[in-house]
Amino acid sequence: MDFVPGGELSRRIREGDVSAESELIRQFEPGLRVLLRRRTGGDYGLLQDLVQETLLVVIQRLRGAGIDDPQKLAAFAAQTARNLAIASLRKAERQKTDVDSDATDRNADPKQNVDGHAADLEAALAVRALLRELPQARDRLMLKRFYLDEHDKDIICQEMDLTEAAFNQALSRARRRFRQILEERGFSKRDLLSSGL
Amino acid sequence: MNQELIERFVAGRLNEAEAEAFEEYCLANPEFARQVEYEQRLKAGIAQVARGSTAEFVRSNHHTARWNFAAAAGILLSLLAMYYAWSHYVPHAVKPLMAAVTTDEQRDGASLRLALVRGNEAAPALQKGLTRVEIVGLFDLGFHYSVTLDRLEKNKKVDTIATLYSQHPSSPVTLEVMIDSDRLQPGTYSLRVRRQASDEEPLDFGFVKF
Repeated sequence: MDFVPGGELSRRIREGDVSAESELIRQFEPGLRVLLRRRTGGDYGLLQDLVQETLLVVIQRLRGAGIDDPQKLAAFAAQTARNLAIASLRKAERQKTDVDSDATDRNADPKQNVDGHAADLEAALAVRALLRELPQARDRLMLKRFYLDEHDKDIICQEMDLTEAAFNQALSRARRRFRQILEERGFSKRDLLSSGL
Repeated sequence: MNQELIERFVAGRLNEAEAEAFEEYCLANPEFARQVEYEQRLKAGIAQVARGSTAEFVRSNHHTARWNFAAAAGILLSLLAMYYAWSHYVPHAVKPLMAAVTTDEQRDGASLRLALVRGNEAAPALQKGLTRVEIVGLFDLGFHYSVTLDRLEKNKKVDTIATLYSQHPSSPVTLEVMIDSDRLQPGTYSLRVRRQASDEEPLDFGFVKF
């Protein structure tokens, strides 16, 4: 689908064009997920909540007062998302200062709460499938060192006796297969927001 | 924008101004943003899988068969031990406190869903009678799991009441057991779910019985 400039989207939404609102969601949702994933510390539930909240705020603003420079709609949406993420973080911090000690005892490992239940389970399942499929132990270890241990490519290549081309080829193969697994399982086809607004 | 820049963004190696400019580029380019998101999800998925153990990353192909054999042998031994205990020590008229879900009637009956939900500090309450407890987490269908029921005493003492071995998840995100609530004293309890034949960290789910 073609990209619709921010100015045109702003004008159409202000004029009450509902299809322009759907277009805005289609255009901005992937970018907002990227932006907010970095700010939600692996909490997938919070990420989805904030994406939806951002789109609601932006659409309501465009339906009403509008924004100063409609050409900068993407920048406005990005800043709205950042502000909401900061507000959410502050709210979470405030809640931490007033905790029932018995409840804390019962939930002794807060990290496990986040990792185990709000995490991106679909991605984890796809990674498991990917790891089972990778024929070379070397490739699995390479993924671990690159993504988990965050070692530099140069160091990994040197220590695993790989050329940079071979490293990039293996990494690119793994990425392609990961995306394919998610798509095959329907995990990437999300229309959660389109119906909710 | 190239792959190297995506890698640097996902690894958190861009400075704040560069990262913000990158994010705004993503908002204006949805297809590019999807590419970045796959990279983020791959990294997050790897971190999630490695949370309990990194064994899946470092296993050699040769060891896989050996571990599968060890797991199978372990399961067989567990089954034999359970059969021996059942046939020698358990009076047949006694109903078990905790058991696997085996019938449609159990599936359609009372149930309690246990999941560690972000921000939820209140433990769910187990209703009276025989209840199906649905445990939500990330499970591997290729493995068996043990489920241990602990009672948490006020003095932080943990009293293990029952353990079920060789439980098979009903889906990649669900494992179910039946608990006879009437046989539990009022108090706070924990269900500990552990993947057998692995060093993965167990998952703990709390509930209360009034």
